[in-house]
Amino acid sequence: MKNKMLLLTRTLLKNGEGFGIKGMKNKVSKVLFALMLIIILPGLVVMFSFFVNSAYSALAVIGQEGVIISWGIAITSTVILLFGIFYIAASFYFSRDVEVLLYLPLKPRQIVGAKFLTAAIFEYIITAAVFLPAVIVYGIRSAVGIVFYLYSFVVFVFIPVVPLCLASVLVMILMRFTNASKHKDTFSIIGGTLALLLGMGINIVMQRFIVNINLQELEALITKGENTLALLTSGIFPTARWAVSALLDTATAAGFLNLLLYAAASAAVYIFLLFLGEKVYLKGVVGLSESVSKRNKQNKAEERDKFLKKHSALRTYTMLELKLLFRTPIYFLNCVIVNFIWPVLLLIYMVMGTEGADMQGMVKQLIINTDNAGTIFLFGIAMFAFVAGFNGTVSTSISREGQELFVKKYIPVSYRTQILAKVLSGFILSIAGAVFMLIAATAVFKLPLYISLLILVAGWMGTLLISFFEILLDLYNPKLDWDSEQKAVKQNMNVVYSMVISSIVGGLTIYAAAQFSPGIITAALSAVLIYGGLNVLVYFLLCKKGVERFKQLEG
Amino acid sequence: MIELIGVSKTYGGTVKAVDNLNLTIPGGEIFGFLGPNGAGKTTTIKMITGILNADSGTIKVNGVDIKTDPVKVKKQIGFVPDSPNMFLRLKGIEYLGFMADMYDVSSKDRTEIIDDLAKKFGMEDVLNDRIQSYSHGMRQKIVLMGSLLHDPSVWILDEPMTGLDPRSSFILKEMMRKRADSGKTVFFSTHVLDVAEKICDKVAIINKGRILFCGTLDEMRNSSMKDESLEKLFLELTENEE
Repeated sequence: MKNKMLLLTRTLLKNGEGFGIKGMKNKVSKVLFALMLIIILPGLVVMFSFFVNSAYSALAVIGQEGVIISWGIAITSTVILLFGIFYIAASFYFSRDVEVLLYLPLKPRQIVGAKFLTAAIFEYIITAAVFLPAVIVYGIRSAVGIVFYLYSFVVFVFIPVVPLCLASVLVMILMRFTNASKHKDTFSIIGGTLALLLGMGINIVMQRFIVNINLQELEALITKGENTLALLTSGIFPTARWAVSALLDTATAAGFLNLLLYAAASAAVYIFLLFLGEKVYLKGVVGLSESVSKRNKQNKAEERDKFLKKHSALRTYTMLELKLLFRTPIYFLNCVIVNFIWPVLLLIYMVMGTEGADMQGMVKQLIINTDNAGTIFLFGIAMFAFVAGFNGTVSTSISREGQELFVKKYIPVSYRTQILAKVLSGFILSIAGAVFMLIAATAVFKLPLYISLLILVAGWMGTLLISFFEILLDLYNPKLDWDSEQKAVKQNMNVVYSMVISSIVGGLTIYAAAQFSPGIITAALSAVLIYGGLNVLVYFLLCKKGVERFKQLEG
Repeated sequence: MIELIGVSKTYGGTVKAVDNLNLTIPGGEIFGFLGPNGAGKTTTIKMITGILNADSGTIKVNGVDIKTDPVKVKKQIGFVPDSPNMFLRLKGIEYLGFMADMYDVSSKDRTEIIDDLAKKFGMEDVLNDRIQSYSHGMRQKIVLMGSLLHDPSVWILDEPMTGLDPRSSFILKEMMRKRADSGKTVFFSTHVLDVAEKICDKVAIINKGRILFCGTLDEMRNSSMKDESLEKLFLELTENEE
């Protein structure tokens, strides 16, 4: 049994489950991925380490530095659980390979086990980013011995097991006892939106908690034993306690015993998962590919006439892109919803921010002074660029074609038109997000109407510029080899690269605003000139190089 | 008419899928493209339709080179790919509307053609359903319908019979015959030799990227001096290659 499961795990990994590194055919992808592994992941570890380091200093004063470890484990477990629900549902139930696995002579527990292991491997990236800083900082600052690091390694290996098992159990039970699997798209959209909102909620609470808390409050919190996070964690993940005890007590046999307990408990939970998988997985997954058909004749004529009317290729193509974005759950969450979540998050941070209400007051103060009109206008333009870069619509528009790209190669529509339709669909979404944010900002900060209108009139240039960059990025580095839609957008580095690009463009704009504090007329004129000029330049580049590149792409 | 002159295609720099292929597919005939799995059939078709770029050689459709005016070439082709599993989240009618707009078909023409084809294939009641809910055969039919909306002068079908029920298969064969008889080009690949034997005016047999034979079935029998079925001739031809 074990052999088959491991064999399947290996095959799934080779097949691109996880990161799809093996599937990366072109050099650009490999180089960019390597860069990300070398720069971004260690960057995250270093960033978190700095944060943990200052937390350590604060906690050491009251002799509670051990909290670092329990927080590290708690946060890692929570994040894995949240990501896990998503990932497990996609991998266990909605991935295209499931149908193939069903008719192979495999036991359900072997499929569940293998899929679980591949998911766990993916989670080690999260574990590395969140748990390692806690271990490193605690290890160095407390000057612990080698045993601590050995124990940490063991804990590291086992950390994803319990939260991911919990996610799997939740998903499997849901799929078995509701007919969620029959309404796969609806389920994914509702579940995904809920998870995003939950994630946002936790994020906001944590932000408030970590940033705003002072030493006295912290001390009171810990000494009173009202550490909500730790309580919550030990409630959801009871085994985490043993890991904490083991890491904080490496000198005695009790610590070692705790470590053994932790490992054994994790293994037991995993075995329970296999057992449960054997019982309920098949019943939830069989018939998944059936989808509900109405087959009704009502409204047939009306419906039909709508599509029998002739429209331009550009319009129809753009509408198709939008329809697919709204109808495909993963795309809806990552490209559409995200558009409206980033702006909300940003506003919440600005309102609640580091200093609470002061930040809002500061912005309002800034706005009242008419000398700052130009600066505020440029901030607005930068925001339009940010919003465009932080949704993965245009930067995955070629990747999302996947193996269906060939259709776009044989239809008699020029590549230029096709590229423009892809840009246009993302542009529409980004503009909607940006306008949404502008309206909210105008209301919250009492932005003068004429500035808001000016931002609206000129802001689209920022959105368009970023969209042009994004499509170029995806044309040169598309991820076409995928078997579940989530790989096309969630495991697509182009999304990250486009965030970087928009941060640079928006950042430079903000830098210029802060540096030169231009008047509103100067600001508007220079923004229109610079953004307009860049748009024209990149557009020509797109028409030449982008079209050429599309021609070369072979699905 | 389709013309391929000295066309080659190599995958990944090493695997030669199509090797210096010369082929002329005239209008007014049903032209079958036969060959074992991996012989280069789909690669050839993908190059004609513009999905793949040929490494060398020239491909012309009705005298227009695909390299110089790809959009004009594509407009003349109706293409049925080997897998109909696409646009699953669209309704049948949405897919047809999309294709009609891509091929620039007027409202009047598309209405007539969709009504006619839906009736022929028994698809009237399901056009408002998502393609996701279709069976393999129904998906094949919707793709077939989409390929005919612009009444193409060249119809290219990659393994079109797969998954079709006997009635639809019969209708498809009839349609192929009717189009060929009206002077249009019908080019299809298959490895079902019985079908090829029954409906093709001409066949080309391809193996390992090279054409082994091109002509009518009678010519094939004459050249081998044996009065045998296409299956036997095919096996002999491709076996000699091994």
